[in-house]
Amino acid sequence: MRALDIAATGMQAQQTRVEVISNNLANMSTTAYNARRAEFADLHYQQIERPGTVTATTGAVLPAGVQLGLGVRTSAVAMSPQQGALQATGGELDVAIDGAGYIEIELPSGAPGYTRDGALKRTGDGLIVTSEGFSVVPEITVPEDARSLTINADGEVYAYFDDQVAAQLLGQLTLATFTNEKGLEAIGSNLYVETEASGQPNVGAPGVDGRGTFRQGYLEESSVDAVREITELIEAQRGYELNAKVITAADQMLGATTQIR
Amino acid sequence: MDNPNYVTLSRQSGLMKAMQAVANNIANMSTGGFRREGVVFAERLERMEALPDTLAMTDARVRHTSTEQGALRATGGTYDLAIEGPGFFQVETADGPRLTRAGAFTRSATGELVTMGGAPVLDSGGAPVLLPPDASAISIAGDGTVDVDGQPIAQIGLWEVADASALARQDGVLFQTDDALEPAAGSQIVQGSLEGSNVDPIAEMTRMIEIQRAYELGQKFLEREDERIRGVIRTMGQTA
Repeated sequence: MRALDIAATGMQAQQTRVEVISNNLANMSTTAYNARRAEFADLHYQQIERPGTVTATTGAVLPAGVQLGLGVRTSAVAMSPQQGALQATGGELDVAIDGAGYIEIELPSGAPGYTRDGALKRTGDGLIVTSEGFSVVPEITVPEDARSLTINADGEVYAYFDDQVAAQLLGQLTLATFTNEKGLEAIGSNLYVETEASGQPNVGAPGVDGRGTFRQGYLEESSVDAVREITELIEAQRGYELNAKVITAADQMLGATTQIR
Repeated sequence: MDNPNYVTLSRQSGLMKAMQAVANNIANMSTGGFRREGVVFAERLERMEALPDTLAMTDARVRHTSTEQGALRATGGTYDLAIEGPGFFQVETADGPRLTRAGAFTRSATGELVTMGGAPVLDSGGAPVLLPPDASAISIAGDGTVDVDGQPIAQIGLWEVADASALARQDGVLFQTDDALEPAAGSQIVQGSLEGSNVDPIAEMTRMIEIQRAYELGQKFLEREDERIRGVIRTMGQTA
């Protein structure tokens, strides 16, 4: 009896949903986190009576037939790229991205990684790195005697020195955009790597070709909406219970079947 | 011939199919764009060889697809499109064009608007919708017109079928039809929203209880019939 298996796929789907929601809620204070959403699709159909079957000797044709579905599957757990709120931190190396784009960083393997987490730091050598210690690409080094730093909307990093009036341009932060942001692979630590689905990165100066701009002294908050997640959680929980109820009912019907004399 | 038992058995096996349909509806209560399905029972006449009459059996013959509007949920996603009205999107799969109402789309690496399954969404002329990679603002109007930075570049096609029961279901919330499609004039696209499943959990639960009880009733009938035949055999044995 397939109703049992079908309800089991329904329970699995609701469980996946709860897992995605709990991950979103766990990351509701993660800088620049984008909420994920589970998408579902129906499984294939069992053809019991094909549409168009001749049903009578007069040649009458069945208009619709009988197709019975076999349950549900998770089709995608995709992030929904959304601008999170900007939180003022005042940190001179805190940069939020206002608009589309990712900061490119270099992973230990030498491969490029991408992040929207703009909580940048300085190493002992003055190199600008992410909180995890990965250097931004292109590399920017801040001289030891720099008094303060300014990062403008276009990502240009200026340093001020005690003995100079004019600021010195140290370098420019670039932004990378992707044709399909949902196709990026999340590798944890707020990092993404490019995949075949995301397409090639389109790296360039901020503010042109649809790329966003930088805001110094701000960090992008997580885009998780707690109220929405909680309502979804309730829905998922009830959905799980409903599917469990189907299993009970199907089991009772099977029980009745075994008692037929 | 043990006809009452056969007639009841045809009902019981039909109820099993109906239960499967209910289980599938409940399993898909969170599937975007899913349409509820129901099973309709029909009388089937069997010609009897020995008797002059025919025997009426029951059969789960026809499937019914509900065309009710599902609830819209605001997501804010640029490529999340919901349809208000009876229309469908057309997508190009490996097996040919298919209809769907699941509007959780994305932009592919090559810039096409695609479903999560990778099938390109077709415009009103039957061609894929290409979105330039450097576009900063993409807005999609109610009639499907895609505006990129203020310039209309394509119109997403919305289609209607005359008879929704002629739609054959396929996995991935897709529908297939051989009938001619008509442009859906009365349907609107809502950008930044997704249509949920149109399964009503309360109605499905009620239906499930009905099926369960009807099944028990059939089982009771079979028991009674068994007792009756036993009684007949016992009485005949005594008289003989």
